[in-house]
Amino acid sequence: MNALTIKALAFAAILIIATIAVVTSLDIDIMGDFVYAVTMGGAIAIAVITAFVTTKYINQMKTDTPSGDLADENWDGIGEYENELPSGWAYAFLATFLWSMWYGFLGYPTNAYSQIGEYNEEVLAYNEKFESLHKNADAATLLEMGESIYLVQCAPCHGNTGDGLSGKAQDFTGRMTKEQVLYVINNGSNQLGYPMGMMPPGMAAGKDAEDIATYVAGGMQGEKPASFAACASCHGEDGKGMNGMAPNLAQYDDTLMTLVLEKGKKGVIGTMPSFKDRLTPVQQKAMTVYIQSLSN
Amino acid sequence: MFFHWLEKNPFFFAAGISIVISFAGLLEIVPNFAEAARPLVDLKPRTVLQLAGKNVYKKDNCISCHSQMIRPFKSETDRYGAYSLSGEYVYDRPFLWGSKRTGPDLHRVGNYRTTDWHENHMWDPPAIVPGSIMPAYKHQFTNLADIETAYAEAVTVKNAFNTPYGPEFKGTRAAWEAHKPKVLEEAKRIADDMKNKDIKEAVARGEVPEVVALIAYLNSLK
Amino acid sequence: MQANAALEYDYSLAKKFTFLTILFGFLGMLVGTIIAAQMAFPELNYLLGEYGTFSRLRPIHTNTVVFGFTVSAIFATWFYVGQRVLKVSMAESRFLMVIGNIQFWLYFIGALLATISLLFGISSSKEYAQYEWPFDIVVVIVWVLWGFNIMGLIGIRREKALYISVWYYLACFLGISMLYLFNNMAIPTYFATEGLGNIFHSVSMYSGTNDALVQWWYGHNAVAFGFTVPIVAMIYYFLPKESGQAIYSYKLSLLSFWGLMFVYLWAGSHHLLWSTVPDWMQTMGSAFSIVLILPSWGSAINMLLTMKGEWNQVTENPLIKFMVLASTFYMLSTIEGPIQAIKSVNAIAHFTDWIPGHVHDGVLGWVVFMVMASIFHMAPRMFKREIYSRKLMEVQFWLQTTAVVLYFTSMWIAGITQGMMWRAVDEYGNLMYSFIDTVTVLHPYYTIRALSGVMYLTGFLMFAYNIYKTMTAGRELSEEPQFRTPMA
Ligand code: HEC
Ligand code: HEC
Ligand code: HEC
Ligand code: HEM
Ligand code: HEM
Ligand SMILES: [Ca+2]
Ligand SMILES: [Ca+2]
Ligand SMILES: [Cu+2]
Repeated sequence: MNALTIKALAFAAILIIATIAVVTSLDIDIMGDFVYAVTMGGAIAIAVITAFVTTKYINQMKTDTPSGDLADENWDGIGEYENELPSGWAYAFLATFLWSMWYGFLGYPTNAYSQIGEYNEEVLAYNEKFESLHKNADAATLLEMGESIYLVQCAPCHGNTGDGLSGKAQDFTGRMTKEQVLYVINNGSNQLGYPMGMMPPGMAAGKDAEDIATYVAGGMQGEKPASFAACASCHGEDGKGMNGMAPNLAQYDDTLMTLVLEKGKKGVIGTMPSFKDRLTPVQQKAMTVYIQSLSN
Repeated sequence: MFFHWLEKNPFFFAAGISIVISFAGLLEIVPNFAEAARPLVDLKPRTVLQLAGKNVYKKDNCISCHSQMIRPFKSETDRYGAYSLSGEYVYDRPFLWGSKRTGPDLHRVGNYRTTDWHENHMWDPPAIVPGSIMPAYKHQFTNLADIETAYAEAVTVKNAFNTPYGPEFKGTRAAWEAHKPKVLEEAKRIADDMKNKDIKEAVARGEVPEVVALIAYLNSLK
Repeated sequence: MQANAALEYDYSLAKKFTFLTILFGFLGMLVGTIIAAQMAFPELNYLLGEYGTFSRLRPIHTNTVVFGFTVSAIFATWFYVGQRVLKVSMAESRFLMVIGNIQFWLYFIGALLATISLLFGISSSKEYAQYEWPFDIVVVIVWVLWGFNIMGLIGIRREKALYISVWYYLACFLGISMLYLFNNMAIPTYFATEGLGNIFHSVSMYSGTNDALVQWWYGHNAVAFGFTVPIVAMIYYFLPKESGQAIYSYKLSLLSFWGLMFVYLWAGSHHLLWSTVPDWMQTMGSAFSIVLILPSWGSAINMLLTMKGEWNQVTENPLIKFMVLASTFYMLSTIEGPIQAIKSVNAIAHFTDWIPGHVHDGVLGWVVFMVMASIFHMAPRMFKREIYSRKLMEVQFWLQTTAVVLYFTSMWIAGITQGMMWRAVDEYGNLMYSFIDTVTVLHPYYTIRALSGVMYLTGFLMFAYNIYKTMTAGRELSEEPQFRTPMA
């Protein structure tokens, strides 16, 4: 090997090392996944083979001399040698062609291989690996899990910190705003499927409604207005929804989370989409734990 | 030698090239036409408003950053929903799968984003998703969508390819005038879920801003 | 005229198309640099209102460099090389001159209008086929006129056997004709109704998965017959001509040519891996992509071996340097593409910046380098003047080489990183990164790429300036140089 080849290989090595360093710094385990490993192998192959083969021929410009029989023809002064094929090239052509036949007929037979089959296997393997592992996860684990799901699935609407992006979605640092409560009092609500069924509009009005809304939005601390009695029949004296008969107005409890994630919800702020079938039961539990942690 | 002869006979040379380059296409593409043209059982063609939205998507060329093809990997189905099926695309002319994901896939974005979110996001993406490099599309809030062209498109695909639009879809101006209220009605349902006053007023006047049609289209991606 | 008296070739069309090559090259790369900068600094989206967003500009970049720059260069070199290797002057046929001039003006005006149409969002949104139907018709007419010219010139040729470059120009003409026609089939909605709606609007003849298949059969082979075949035509003429060396091996030329013709067409489905295209087609596309390395490398190796023993030319003549480097970048992109076509690699690479990375080591390192080298070779012969500055050429060479390296290495790392992040799961099996995490992490690489764009564009301006000075201020030549291009 001469200087040019060594320089080219060194360049290839730097590129590969830089790639691996960046990926590893992001907590990605290259050897932990078949696809990662093949990709990195492919990247190495591109860099190394190109460096090696191109410099091999460029070196011949320094070391070799042109030779061979010239063909009779000549175009605008350009001649052509009758040289044989470079053997490495010819064998590689033959080899890749034979390999392609093997690949298409035996390796991944065109009549039998199915990528959906492969997907189903991937999901099975995944479930085996993770689902049993976290079936009985403790609260701390659920909290961490919830956070990572939240950042991917919910943060685009509710914001990274759960503050609802200044009124563009539910603010998880509290339960509800006055505006939200008033809107429900005025318009009623019938979308979540609580045992109590629907909430009719106009359960309170005027100053009563204002007082109730202030009280509920304040986290039901302080003095309870007398008019809250209108609500207590369904939501309970403490506003906690009487064990899931109606929504808990004080906390994001399990029932509320389950129903909201399943059905979605349209309110004064906007519409929250349903996450039905998009989260597993464990993930849903984790979500609840995490959302609850935000309001405390 | 055969090749030396060929090189002196340009006609046969050109014929040779044509034959060699044609048959791969014939063998790979033609057999698929019958199979891939089958729609999913309950697949409906897009409404005129949604088509107008698709044309906004084409006009502003969202395809340069967004794909609509969820590949069968766990990591993609977790992020975007079920993997895509051939039968879902049967009424898409052209297909809009894209080849670059500078932004996320949108094939099922209708499942997990909503009208009000799109309204905020199209107006100013980084305000909603900090760090977003998506441009703001404020002009879509004032430009009007071309619903007449969308209607012409529906009629064309109905007549040329039997896309199942109803019998009322005819290529006459009268038929379009008769259909137009339906489009406006649908636009109003979208505008009702939006906050922007100008949009609401425009729709009430019988105009359809581009963003309204675009959101109808995005919501239909499920 | 006697058969072996020196012919007076007519370069008027070659000159005209050379000007367009430089004009469209500059515009296309300017827009490329702008969109590269927009990905790093999104505020730049708002310089031109609705017309300045990344998404409106991106197709202007791709179409201007493909249908403006590259196609002009194909025409320019054809109108130069064609005459010379067929040993017949354009001036010998009034008919061909007239056709050629119509082709030029129709093309120039058509390309400008088509670009403007994209700026206004008149687009069918199929990649590399965005032009709506009226512009498609102009493209087809221009192409047919060019076809007349090729056939006409071949018809009146003195050189019996077709030189290798002519094989490739012919293939370029035939391939693009077939691909462009089929992929752009569409029905204008205005004419399919009682004149309803916009006259430009049309619907594709194909839908869904079928449309995807036709589109990428086109898209992939547009690379073949636009970025590969005609560029190989150029190098097969300009490298041996500039160096005075005979082509290394006829057999290698022959096998590479027919191998390329046969294999390329099968590989289109590597753009649709893991999509809803049937598994067997994906398997074929993937496998034939690997085979494709060899016919691609065949031409490059043939060129490198043609320079065997000629190291002094490589060090002394910057024009040769451009062509040797172009061959190596061609080899890089034609092994990178096949490896990205391996299904498991594509699972990561597809949709990421690694693909534009691959694209640009091909187009910047191979296509543009070869085109500039061709023009550097043609200029002194067309304008009968010496190249204005060899020094400028040297500086330009190193500046642009650095730019290509920065472009492809930054996008390589960006793409692999992003592809792996999309797939990564945490210890609980949940997705590790939100989408926006995978965007913000790319900022440094986008910045490097934007910088490389500025460098490459600067180099291109140096090239344009050098050609301009050559035309106007280069030392006049008394006779046409046979091989090596004279430069000051
Ligand atoms: C007839 C029973 C009933 C009464 C009385 C009632 N509610 Fe409700 N409330 C419900 C039900 C059921 C829901 C859930 C509706 C749904 O499925 O969307 C609900 C929902 C709500 C919500 C929305 C909670 C959320 O997270 O989406 C608020 C706020 C609310 N009620 C406040 C009140 C107030 C304040 C009062 C008294 C003025 C009141 N409710 C009286 C049954 C009642
Ligand atoms: C497309 C935007 C969007 C996404 C994604 C989203 N939300 Fe919401 N969410 C909203 C909006 C808007 C509201 C407020 C609805 C209202 O009351 O007007 C809301 C409200 C809520 C509420 C309060 C509901 C109530 O009745 O009090 C909960 C809990 C919630 N979201 C949880 C989540 C969780 C958990 C996720 C992720 C798994 C999530 N959201 C994803 C938009 C979204
Ligand atoms: C320069 C690239 C770019 C362009 C052009 C672009 N987007 Fe985006 N888009 C992004 C990025 C990056 C994100 C992710 C960050 C965010 O949500 O803003 C995104 C996110 C989105 C989302 C949210 C999807 C999700 O799952 O959160 C939608 C919907 C969307 N874009 C629609 C569009 C539409 C419609 C257009 C064209 C009118 C468009 N985008 C043009 C880059 C782009
Ligand atoms: C052996 C030859 C080649 C093969 C097998 C090949 C393969 C590929 C593959 C697999 C992709 C990515 C598809 C995806 O996942 O999105 C791709 C994209 C691309 N390649 Fe190549 N490549 C080759 C040579 C070249 C050359 C020489 C050029 C240009 C000079 C080029 C230009 C492109 C372009 C423009 C794209 C982008 C297409 C898009 O818009 O998505 N390729 N190629
Ligand atoms: C100054 C030089 C250039 C710069 C800075 C540049 C920059 C860019 C950028 C930023 C993109 C978009 C990538 C993305 O969406 O992620 C792009 C796409 C593209 N460019 Fe360039 N470009 C340059 C020159 C060229 C030239 C000379 C050609 C062709 C001859 C070319 C062909 C393409 C193609 C085919 C694509 C589409 C790739 C794809 O879809 O995958 N570019 N370029
Ligand atoms: Ca692309
Ligand atoms: Ca077109
Ligand atoms: Cu390809």
